[in-house]
Amino acid sequence: MKYFIQSLVCICFAGGLVARPLNDKDISDTIKPKELIPVKVYSLIKGANQPLVNFYIANKSATTEDILSRLPEMNMIRRGSYGMEPVLRSYSSGQTSLLIDGMRMHGACTDKMDPVSIYIEPQNLQSIQVQTTHGFHSGSVVGGSVNLKFATPTFNETSLFSGTVSSGYQSAANAVYHTGTFNYGTKRLALRTTVSYRNAQDYRSGGGVVIPFSQYQKINYGLSVKYALRNSWIAKTDILFDDGWNIGYPALPMDVGYAGARIVSLSMQNETGNNHFKQTEIKLYANSVRHYMDDSQRKNISIHMDMPGESNTYGAYIDSRLQFRNNTKINLKADITSTDLIASMTMYQSGQPPMFMLTWPDNRTMQSGIGATFIKQLDSTSGLAISTRADLFIKSLITQSAKDQLSVLNQPVSNVSRLLKNLSVQYNKTAGKKTKTTISVSYSERMPVSSELYGFYLFNANDGFDYIGNTNLVPENAINAEAGIVHKQTFFQLSLTGYATVIHQYITGVYQPTLSSMTIGANGVKSYQQIPRVFIAGVEAMIIAKPSSSLDLVSTSKFSYGKDYQNNPLPMIAPLKNTTSLRKIINKWAIQAETEWAFTQNRINPYSRETATQSYGIFNLRLMYDTPLLNNQLRVDTGIDNLLDNDYKEHLDWGRINRPGRNLYMQITLSF
Amino acid sequence: MKNNVLNIFILFFATFIVLESCSKESNVPESDPVAGMVKIASGYAAGAATYVNIYTKDSAFAGYNKLYIVLTDSITGNNIDNASVSLNPMMQMAMMSHSSPKENPASIAVNHVFEASVTFIMPSSGGTWTLKTNVFNNENGKQGVLNCTINVKPTTQQKLYSFISLSDNSSKYFVGIVEPSKPFVGINDCELVIYKKQSMMLFPADSSLTVVVTPEMPTMSHGSPNNINPVHIGNGHYKGKVNFTMTGFWRLNLTLKTGNTVSDSTNYIDLTF
Ligand SMILES: [Cu+2]
Repeated sequence: MKYFIQSLVCICFAGGLVARPLNDKDISDTIKPKELIPVKVYSLIKGANQPLVNFYIANKSATTEDILSRLPEMNMIRRGSYGMEPVLRSYSSGQTSLLIDGMRMHGACTDKMDPVSIYIEPQNLQSIQVQTTHGFHSGSVVGGSVNLKFATPTFNETSLFSGTVSSGYQSAANAVYHTGTFNYGTKRLALRTTVSYRNAQDYRSGGGVVIPFSQYQKINYGLSVKYALRNSWIAKTDILFDDGWNIGYPALPMDVGYAGARIVSLSMQNETGNNHFKQTEIKLYANSVRHYMDDSQRKNISIHMDMPGESNTYGAYIDSRLQFRNNTKINLKADITSTDLIASMTMYQSGQPPMFMLTWPDNRTMQSGIGATFIKQLDSTSGLAISTRADLFIKSLITQSAKDQLSVLNQPVSNVSRLLKNLSVQYNKTAGKKTKTTISVSYSERMPVSSELYGFYLFNANDGFDYIGNTNLVPENAINAEAGIVHKQTFFQLSLTGYATVIHQYITGVYQPTLSSMTIGANGVKSYQQIPRVFIAGVEAMIIAKPSSSLDLVSTSKFSYGKDYQNNPLPMIAPLKNTTSLRKIINKWAIQAETEWAFTQNRINPYSRETATQSYGIFNLRLMYDTPLLNNQLRVDTGIDNLLDNDYKEHLDWGRINRPGRNLYMQITLSF
Repeated sequence: MKNNVLNIFILFFATFIVLESCSKESNVPESDPVAGMVKIASGYAAGAATYVNIYTKDSAFAGYNKLYIVLTDSITGNNIDNASVSLNPMMQMAMMSHSSPKENPASIAVNHVFEASVTFIMPSSGGTWTLKTNVFNNENGKQGVLNCTINVKPTTQQKLYSFISLSDNSSKYFVGIVEPSKPFVGINDCELVIYKKQSMMLFPADSSLTVVVTPEMPTMSHGSPNNINPVHIGNGHYKGKVNFTMTGFWRLNLTLKTGNTVSDSTNYIDLTF
């Protein structure tokens, strides 16, 4: 009953609205003053914007995380050649949300080996939607969100079967990548199925050193079925399975024997809409992740251990876009989820009984939220968007043994329930049809994640401390300001975004000298505590130039800055990084040269035992050949990553391990 | 007509349900207070017209043993709930004999059980333990004695130890563990008993020491946070809290002080679960 009343409060609290995504097409064509940009969409399907798509999917055998790493807002924390953790701007994973086709999903690894993006292959995707600090369509977050939107099957009037098969090899890790996508469409029914297989050995880093425990192997298969009902509704189901084996994490003391995900959803969509309802989607979904971490392959270990983890999520949402006459749109979303997490550790020493403990004491997160975005075109050159959201979270320990174990930390083990509130206001103005300026301010809150509340001696291999949770944590809250300018000329377009955030009650690990560490060799114990505030700011710039019809240039730069209330630099802040790609099309050929470089990072956090990272620069060269073959289309992608075989690492790479050296690759794709 | 058939059906089912629930209630057996325990001694306390059964949760071992004594009238077989029972454990060794610390039960049984304890300070391998049980049956005013040989097993892990106090280099103490008897991952009661050896026959409870407990997993050399040191609560029992963060082999390192002087800091009690 109490829960019900609180939900009602949520509903009453939410007043109004998140705007339609704007395609890349829009920024490269003309600037449409009618649209606001709360969501940036990076499209993966061909045609939306060819230079950008080619830029993001630099290499045809790229993984989802490779593509994410090239987005202007993103960086990746690297612990191995697979399982990289996306970082949106410089916010932690708890401060942002990573959604899978609108669904919440939680990894099953206490050591963040499995950000849920690893379970998605690029061929599962239609687009990547990045929402920064204005708008809360995907949840209560202080740092924005990323949605990996699934590709959908396409209807076809003439019952058409189409697809692509692709096969390739990469030399640095002696890796193969095979994938197939098949679509069958009739007037009412459409099916799309995908399968892909990756197998990579230990990779060779720049200079020739082979990095042990950097191998992986995975298979991914998906099925999507769409059926058009007679009353303009479309019923759709998506099933996605992903299985990975023998995944090495050279920067961590453990590897993964098996990591798998099962994602299923059922949705009803209405695109045409009657009256004010332009678009409505109702979705029910469930997903689960199994993660088995062990150190059985590692040598010289006194006590071997197994660390299995499980996550199970059930959820539902309704998302509606309403249109009114006076240039007003309202977007409403209500969602509810329940996520259960369990993880444990069993240690084995000969002559002793196994030692068992819960690393994520069995816990449940119940979330229900409602959000609304109100968008109003004020006049022909300016617009306003107001976004608001309320979320009720109830987190609880669900077994007596979980409560017993966590009570050892002298903290309350009763339910933690918190009501979160968010509000953002965005204004845009177009001057002279060439320059569009957007400014926004927002207040947002985020819930502490399960590791921060309940984590039990979770070892962080980067700073060498065991982390324990704190059930007394309250939500973080942030005040954010963001300003963006997009300027377009005939042959080039420049976009520049700046942001600044003050996060209050910032959650971070604080050293506890009185506690003894659990992990052998650890530096000590840190407990999640709240510090008064931190400041994060940054700039992202992108230049797209087209000096001639066959020449494209795309250059992105990102820089961020972070400090805490005592002016210490925040840890894990990437230095200035630029990626520039120049592409020339000659008949059926395209040649692309790329540079990627980053500055030295000397601003390091002393409490995280961070060390400075040297600057680096690498060159990539790519060649593409695209030709009709009988009735099909053949495409060959080949090239060399890290042409000069430089040994380098990025600041967010754990363990000071060098990245891959010179990598020759070739991928052959046949479309029919 | 149809309604009648329906009513009969309803009546039939209702009756069935009532009967079923009644039979369930009456089937609940009276719980046996010593179910699953080990009988370590039994026999007539001659003269008291009383039959004595003495149980322990597990076999008797070198350490603090809780004894559960059940007395029955040797003629009627009814439970005797009011009796003064006193225990006298005795170890007969080759060259000498000695007793051990013990706690006699209260004179009124709880659920027909008299709870007592004996802290066997060595296993039977060193000699022969006998337990002399003196019963004064308050219900019939008669008195009798039962003598039984007890097999006290050695323990694989240390549950009891003795030390000579460093503060006077003469006083000998015995320290045993009462709780946790069923250790689990979480906050456990930590209860110790400390007895001072006054003579071969007298082991009075001690209340003078200060106890510091430091739990440790020797195989991993880590401890646990937020433990509460045991303090004296009466009759030589010291009670606090000990926390276990995982299952496995744990050692409770014990430091005992007299005032501010360390009396002993080299001993420990081990647990594995
Ligand atoms: Cu893991």
